[in-house]
Amino acid sequence: MSYDKPLPKLNSDNRPFWEGCRQHELRFQRCSDCGHVRWPPSDLCPQCHSTEINWLISKGIGKVYTFAVYHTAFHPGFAADLPYTVAVVALDEGPHFMSNIVGCRPDEVKCDMPVKVVWEDVDERITLPKFRALS
Amino acid sequence: MLESGLCSYVLISYGHSALSSDSMQRMLLDLSGDDAVFGHFGATGGYALAARRAMHEFGTGPETWKKIAVGQRRWANLNPAAMMHSKPMTEADYDNAKLIVEPLRLPDNCLITDGGRAIIVTSLERARDLKQPPAVIMGMGQHNPSTVIAQSDWMAGPTGARQAGEAAFAMADITLDDVDACQIYDCFTYTVEITLQDYGFFKPGGGRDWLQGGTIEPGGRMPVNTSGGQLSEAYFMGMTPIAEGAMQIMGRCGERQLGPATRTKSPEIILCSDNGGILQSHSCTLLRRL
Amino acid sequence: MTSPIKDKYAIVGVGYTPQGRVPGRTSLSFHLEASANAIKDAGLNKNDIDGFISYRNFPAASDENELTPNIIAQHLGLSPIYMSQDAN
Repeated sequence: MSYDKPLPKLNSDNRPFWEGCRQHELRFQRCSDCGHVRWPPSDLCPQCHSTEINWLISKGIGKVYTFAVYHTAFHPGFAADLPYTVAVVALDEGPHFMSNIVGCRPDEVKCDMPVKVVWEDVDERITLPKFRALS
Repeated sequence: MLESGLCSYVLISYGHSALSSDSMQRMLLDLSGDDAVFGHFGATGGYALAARRAMHEFGTGPETWKKIAVGQRRWANLNPAAMMHSKPMTEADYDNAKLIVEPLRLPDNCLITDGGRAIIVTSLERARDLKQPPAVIMGMGQHNPSTVIAQSDWMAGPTGARQAGEAAFAMADITLDDVDACQIYDCFTYTVEITLQDYGFFKPGGGRDWLQGGTIEPGGRMPVNTSGGQLSEAYFMGMTPIAEGAMQIMGRCGERQLGPATRTKSPEIILCSDNGGILQSHSCTLLRRL
Repeated sequence: MTSPIKDKYAIVGVGYTPQGRVPGRTSLSFHLEASANAIKDAGLNKNDIDGFISYRNFPAASDENELTPNIIAQHLGLSPIYMSQDAN
């Protein structure tokens, strides 16, 4: 069955992230100079402008910072999923990451709800990080 | 550029065949970027995230936003050019309206409009020789927090409105008490709430009480969006609020004119706001009668 | 300290167009009508306009070219000293 939702655009900034996802690793850049952990990825630390980085592997645990429940399909690929939840997850390492909450009904999602990453293997190139409630 | 002497008369123009063309459809996918991977599209989704966080941080919600939607509709019902002119809305209509991206319903969303709007700005000196009574710019301020909604940690306030408002009021050397009416960029009802809150009209979560009793409506003590706004008149980005602010100062608003016609105060000073992105840019302009 | 721009500038004209559902027109045509009306409303002539800002545009409709401030200025017969497109 073909995947009919949009896929991420890979480029020099984000390729290490998406390659990590294929290996079920949620990777973020940590600035070697000031320690800021950033998302989305880029060559420059937005806090101190350092170009020194190392990539950390996140534990994949965080809390729902906020969420929205789609009752309208803005793209046909999502029509069958209605209603579905888009959330901003505040990971313990710091970054805020947008994804979906899966494995529960939208009305069960709450702000500050603890969540953990789960992996959705789309194809040989792309695995998507999604989040489910941490019980 | 006027102050630098570079220009004498500045034209600002907006035009869009938004409703009748496929431009918006193209925008939805073009501008959503990789958010679309997770099914996140457009402005409604972005402001829904902000509104939900605000519900969590200070207990707002549809009971507050309903008053903004219904209140502004009453102004539109006085404005023959408004898209919602002949469509009254009750609170029950709001409650029964469908959810688009929860917690936002259809009447929480601005309109999509075909049309255009333009204004001319010049020096007060030159203005005195022209056709219309001028809407004088007393003060202005801007602040652009910039960060996209997914990484914003101020979506429940203070937004750019706080700093932009402070700068505008400082420049004008007035306080909130001097403001007679507001034209607030209202892409969503929540935007109106958080903007008024960040300007200091009420404390976080105080909006619902502040709006009680028709505060923003014809006959109210603080009229807001007197053309009906983007929610009920027409969506022309920041041109919707600023044009209405100017026209009200000029006294050219007919049935919806602030003053005796609408049982409100004749406007000396009107506060206008502009907003961009998902609470990413803000500007505040204070207009006054000459 | 008083700001140098407080009370020094004013809005002097507003231009409207038909608005709502107005099919069969380009976005350019709305810019032109609104702009021409604002200039008339102020009691000015198009040759008085030496600064021009056009609002950020959404992607062009599939039956229209991308609108830039240049294109709008050209159709208005303007060659302003200052020109830009609003950032938001």
